Amino acid sequence: MSSAPKKRGSRIEPFRHRVETDPNFFDKSWRKLHDAIREIYNHNASGLSFEELYRTAYNMVLHKHGPKLYEHLTANLKEHLEEMRTSIEAAQGGLFLEELQRKWDEHNKALQMIRDILMYMDRTYILTNKKTPVFDLGLELWRDTIVRSSMIQGRLLDTLLELIHRERMGEVINRSLMRSTTKMLMDLGSSVYQEDFERPFLEVSASFYSGESQQFIECCACGEYLKQAERRLNEESERVTQYMDMKTGEKITAVVVKEMLANHMQRLILMENSGLVNMLVEDRYEDLTRMYSLFHHVAEGHSTIRSVMASHIKETGKSLVTDPERLKDPVDFVQRLLNEKDKYDNIINVSFSNDKSFLNALNSSFENFINLNNRSPEFISLFVDDKLRKGVKEASEEDLETILDKVMMLFRYLQEKDLFEKYYKQHLAKRLLSGKAASDDSERSMLVKLKTECGYQFTSKLEGMFTDLKTSHDTTQNFYAASSSDATDAPTISVQILTTGSWPTQPCSTCNLPPEILAVSEKFRAFYLGTHNGRRLTWQTNMGTADIKATFGNGSKHELNVSTYQMCVLMLFNSADALTYREIEQATAIPAADLKRCLQSLALVKGKQVLRKEPMSRDISDDDSFCVNDKFTSKLFKVKIGTVVAQKETDPEKLETRQRVEEDRKPQIEAAIVRIMKSRRVLDHNSIMTEVTKQLQPRFLPNPVVIKKRIESLIEREFLERDKTDRKLYRYLA
Amino acid sequence: MGMAAKTGRGRVRLNVGGRVFETTADTLASAGRDTMLGAMLDASWNAGHDPDAEYFIDRDPACFAVLLDLLRTGTLHLPPGLPEPTLCREALYYGLLDRVRAARAGEFDGDRLRLAASVPGRAPGDGTAVRAAPDGGCCVAHGGAVRVYNWLLEERRPVYLDHAPVNDAAYLDAATLLVAARERPGNRRSDGGGGGGGGVAAFSALTGDLRHRFRVAHWRQPRSFTAGALELDASSNRVFASCKGRLNEYGVGVWDCATGEQADFFYEPPGCALGDADKLQWLDATSTLMVATMFPRTDASFLTLLDFRDDKSVVWSWTDAGTPASLEEKRAVHAVVLEDGRSVCVVNQYDDLGFLDLRKNAGGVRWSSRSKLAGKKKKVAAARGYEEETCYPKLAAHGGQLFASTNDTISVFSGPDHVLTSTLRGSGGGAICDFSIGGDRLFALHNEENVFDVWETPPPAII
Repeated sequence: MSSAPKKRGSRIEPFRHRVETDPNFFDKSWRKLHDAIREIYNHNASGLSFEELYRTAYNMVLHKHGPKLYEHLTANLKEHLEEMRTSIEAAQGGLFLEELQRKWDEHNKALQMIRDILMYMDRTYILTNKKTPVFDLGLELWRDTIVRSSMIQGRLLDTLLELIHRERMGEVINRSLMRSTTKMLMDLGSSVYQEDFERPFLEVSASFYSGESQQFIECCACGEYLKQAERRLNEESERVTQYMDMKTGEKITAVVVKEMLANHMQRLILMENSGLVNMLVEDRYEDLTRMYSLFHHVAEGHSTIRSVMASHIKETGKSLVTDPERLKDPVDFVQRLLNEKDKYDNIINVSFSNDKSFLNALNSSFENFINLNNRSPEFISLFVDDKLRKGVKEASEEDLETILDKVMMLFRYLQEKDLFEKYYKQHLAKRLLSGKAASDDSERSMLVKLKTECGYQFTSKLEGMFTDLKTSHDTTQNFYAASSSDATDAPTISVQILTTGSWPTQPCSTCNLPPEILAVSEKFRAFYLGTHNGRRLTWQTNMGTADIKATFGNGSKHELNVSTYQMCVLMLFNSADALTYREIEQATAIPAADLKRCLQSLALVKGKQVLRKEPMSRDISDDDSFCVNDKFTSKLFKVKIGTVVAQKETDPEKLETRQRVEEDRKPQIEAAIVRIMKSRRVLDHNSIMTEVTKQLQPRFLPNPVVIKKRIESLIEREFLERDKTDRKLYRYLA
Repeated sequence: MGMAAKTGRGRVRLNVGGRVFETTADTLASAGRDTMLGAMLDASWNAGHDPDAEYFIDRDPACFAVLLDLLRTGTLHLPPGLPEPTLCREALYYGLLDRVRAARAGEFDGDRLRLAASVPGRAPGDGTAVRAAPDGGCCVAHGGAVRVYNWLLEERRPVYLDHAPVNDAAYLDAATLLVAARERPGNRRSDGGGGGGGGVAAFSALTGDLRHRFRVAHWRQPRSFTAGALELDASSNRVFASCKGRLNEYGVGVWDCATGEQADFFYEPPGCALGDADKLQWLDATSTLMVATMFPRTDASFLTLLDFRDDKSVVWSWTDAGTPASLEEKRAVHAVVLEDGRSVCVVNQYDDLGFLDLRKNAGGVRWSSRSKLAGKKKKVAAARGYEEETCYPKLAAHGGQLFASTNDTISVFSGPDHVLTSTLRGSGGGAICDFSIGGDRLFALHNEENVFDVWETPPPAII
C-alpha cells in the first residue's frame, strides 16, 4: 500500500497498536467485492455468498475504509457503464432503444444487488458523511455516463421525438418500449425527464400543431376543425397515459389548446357559414357541445362563445319583434318567441351542460329584445287568452301547464308587468263573462303562477273576479229559489255581479232592454238589493249574452246564441218586419259603434245571416234597412252568432290603455316615493330616482321624468319639501 | 429431499455463529427488504439456491436471539448480561437499529416520563445549555465546548468553536450541530471574519468536524460578532441568531442553513432589544420570529415578533420596561410561544406563569395564580445567590403540554387551562439550569456537577 510509509511517520503513540494486522486487508477485500460485482454484471451471481460479501463490506467500513471503498466503487461502476455505453452506441437504427433498455434493466438489477452488499456503508459512512447512497450513485453514473453522453443524448431525444412524430402521422410504434424509456428518464429524477425529454417534446409539439392548425384552418369548416382538435387532444392525453409522466398531460394539453384553439379562437367562432352562429341556427348540438368543451380550456373561451350567442339571440329576436308582419298575429308572435326560447334552452341544456352563465346570457338577451316592442305584454296576454280559451281541446292538461310555464318565462322578461296585468284582466274578464274559460283549473293555475311571480297584490283583483262569479252563481240560484213557480214562460236570466274596481272598468253604456227582460231584471234588482243593503247595481249590457229561440219564415227553428245587444236588436223584429238602422238605434239606445258591429255580425257574416240588409253593402249607414232573413238555414240547431270584435286592440284603444296604465302608475310611484322618504327622511334627488326605480322594477320601469313630476306633486301637496340650503335634497314632512 | 422441501415451506434455518435458529421467511422478511436479512432472503441472491440449505451468518448468536425475538414480537427484551451497546452494534449490522430504538421507548408523553439515565458531566464550571437531538441524542454546552452524546448516551467528540464561550447550540438535523459562541474580548482581527472566536458555525455532530461558519457582513464589510440564541426555520431552511457586533451592530442575523450564506440582517430598532436575546422562536403559523430578551440579562424584559418578509417589520412587541416597580418586583425571566401560536407564556422569578395574547398589540401579562407551582416558597435571598445556588425557571411547550423548570424539578401542565399534572424530580444534581425536549426524550441539565438527567416514556404495557 502506498500510504504505508506516511502512516509510519505519523504513528507516534507507543501504547496504541493497530488492530488491523493484514496490510493488504483493503486490497484483498476489495478484490473480493470487485470480482463479485463483475459476476453480477455478467448475470453469474448464483455462486456468490451474500453473507460473505456483506460481511466483507462491513469489515471494510468498520476498519475506516469507507472513503476508499466508496471511491473504488464509483470508479468500478463507471467502468462497467462505459462498457455498456459502447455496446449501446454500436446498436443500429431501431435496435438502439432496445439495447438501451436492455442495458438499463441489467444495470438496475445489478445495482440492487450491489446496494445489498454495501447496505452497511449506506447506513453508516454515507449517512454520516452526507454522500450519495449507493443506488442513487448508480443512477447518477448511468445518467452522466450514458444518458447524457455526447453520443447518446442527442440520439436518444431524436429517436423519441421521431417515434412520436410517426405516431402522430398514423404509424403504429412500439409503445411499451417508449414507456420503459421515459420511465427510465423519470427514474433518473424529474429534472432529467423534464430537461432531456419533456421540454424539447413540448417545443416540437408546439411547432407541429402550429403548422397543422394553420393547414386545417385554411381548408376546414369550423365543425370539422374542432373535430380534428378534439381528436388531437384525445390522442395526446392518451399518449401521455400510455408512455409519459402524468404531469406532462396538463402541459401538452396546454400546448395543443394554445396552438390549435386559443390562437385561432376568434376566427373559428366567427367563421363564416360554419361558425357558432351557423351551429346555433342549424341546431348542431354535437358541434356546439364540442365547441363548448374545447373552449373550456381557453381563457376567455366561454365568454367569447357566450357573447357571440347573446348578440345573435338579440339580433334575431329584434328582427322578430320588430317585423310588422308578425304583429298581425299575436298568438303566432308569442309562439315564435316560445320556440326561440325552447331552441336555446335545448342548446344550453344539451350542448352547454346547462351552464348558468349561458342561461343568464340567454335571459338577458330575451329581456333585451322582448321589451323592444311595447306590445309584447299585450301579445303575451293574448296568447294566454288563446290557450285558455281553447283549453284542453287542443292540448292535455299537462301540456297546457308546460305552455303556461313557458309563457311565465317570457312574462319574467317583461319590464312593463303592470301593462300585462291590465291586459290580462281585460282578457280574463271577457273569458269569464262569456263563459269561454275552458278550464277553471288552468285559469287558477295561471293565477297561482302570477301570484308566486309578482306577489299577492298583483293578483288580488284577478282573484276577486273569480269570487264574484262564484257568488253570482249562488245569488242567481237563490233568486230563482225565492221566486220559484212564477211564470215559467218568462225568460230566465243569469246575473253576474261584478265588484267595481276588480273588473276592467267599462264605460257604462245603457241600452234599452226588451220589456220581457227588463221585467225579470228589475225583479232581480229588487231581490238583490233586498238582501244586500246599500249597494248600487248597474247593468253592463255590453257584456252579456243571450240564448233565444227563433222561428223563421221558412219554418226552421233555431236557438241563437247572441250577445245582449244582438238580443235587443232581434227582439225588435218580434213586432216589426223591417227596421232602418236609425229606428233600431233609437229603439235600443246601443252606442253607434257597438250597434254597427252587432248588426254586421247579424247580417253580413256568411252562413249566419239572421237578418237581411238592404242594400247588401258591407258598411252600414243610417238609412239602411234590416229584416229577418226568412230563408235562414243552418245545419245546426244551435247557432252561435259571434260579434265582429277586433281581438287585438285598435290604435286608439291601445293609446287609451297606455294612458290608463300611465295614470295607474302615478299613485304607485308616489307611494314608492313616500315609502322611501318615510324611512330615509332626507335624500338627494339621484338617490330617490335609483331607489324608486329599484322598488318598482318588478312591475315596470318608471320614467325618470314621471318620477320627477310625482315628486313635484308631492311637494305641492306638502308631503315633501326641498332643503332650504341644498336644493337637491328633499325632506319628508310627517 | 422433495418431501423435506414441502414440509419446510416458508421455513428458514439460520446458523448464527454456530447456533441454529429456525424461523419463517415471513418473520425475516418483516425486517424489510432494505435490511441485511431481507436482502439475504431476496430472490436475486438465491437463484439456484438449495431451499433446504441453512444460511450461515458469522455473528454473535446471543444478540441475534434478542433481535429475532424483536422481529417476532415487536418488543425488546434484553437479558441480563447483554450490554445495550453490544446489542446496538449487532442491530446496526443487520440494519435493525431503528427497530431497536422504536421498541425501547414509547411516544413522548409528559405525564408518563420516567428517569432513564443520569449522565455525569466531567467539564468544570456551569453548563450553559442542553439541547435534544432529533434522534434522541443530546449536546451540553459549557464553557468553550459542546459535548455531544448519541442516543445511547455515549459521548462523541466534543465540538469547539475556537474554544470561545458557547452561548447556544441547535441541531439542524441529527448529524449537524450549530453552535453560537461569544467573541473573546481583545482578540481582534482586522478581517473580522476569522479566528476571533465567536459567531455561528455548523459542525458534524458525529465527527465534531467544522462544516462551515455563518458570517455576518455589515455594508459588505465582514465583521466578527457574538452570537446569542439560535433558531431554525425548517420550512425555508433558514438559521436565525441574535448578534452583537463590536460597533453596536445589534440585531438578528439570518442565514441559509445549507450554504451558510448570510440571507438577511434585522437591525435592532430603537426601543427593542434584539442583539442580546436569550431566546428565539420561529412561529410557522404566522411566519414570524419571536425574540425574547429577558431579565436579568437586561434591566427589563422585551418580547418582539419580527416579520422578515418584504419590508422587515416588528409586528408585535411587549416590554415591562417603565412599568412601576411593584412591591414584589416580578420580572419575566423566560418566555415561550405556545404551540397554537396565539399566546406567549412567561414565567417570573417566583415561578408564576403568565400569559400574553399575540393577537392583541396592547395588553399586559395575565398572571395565573392557579398555575403557581405547588411546593415551598422560594426564599428571595436564596434566589439572589447568598446561600445555595438556584436557577431561574425556564419554559418549554411540547405536544400540547407546557413544561416549566423550577429549582430541581420540572412541572408539567396540561390542557387548555394549563393544569399542573406531573412533577419530575431528578437525580439530585441540584437546580436545573436548562432543559430540552426532542427525539422523544426530555433532557434536564443540573447545575451541580454538570449532571444531566434523561427522561423518556416507557413502551406501552403489553397487557
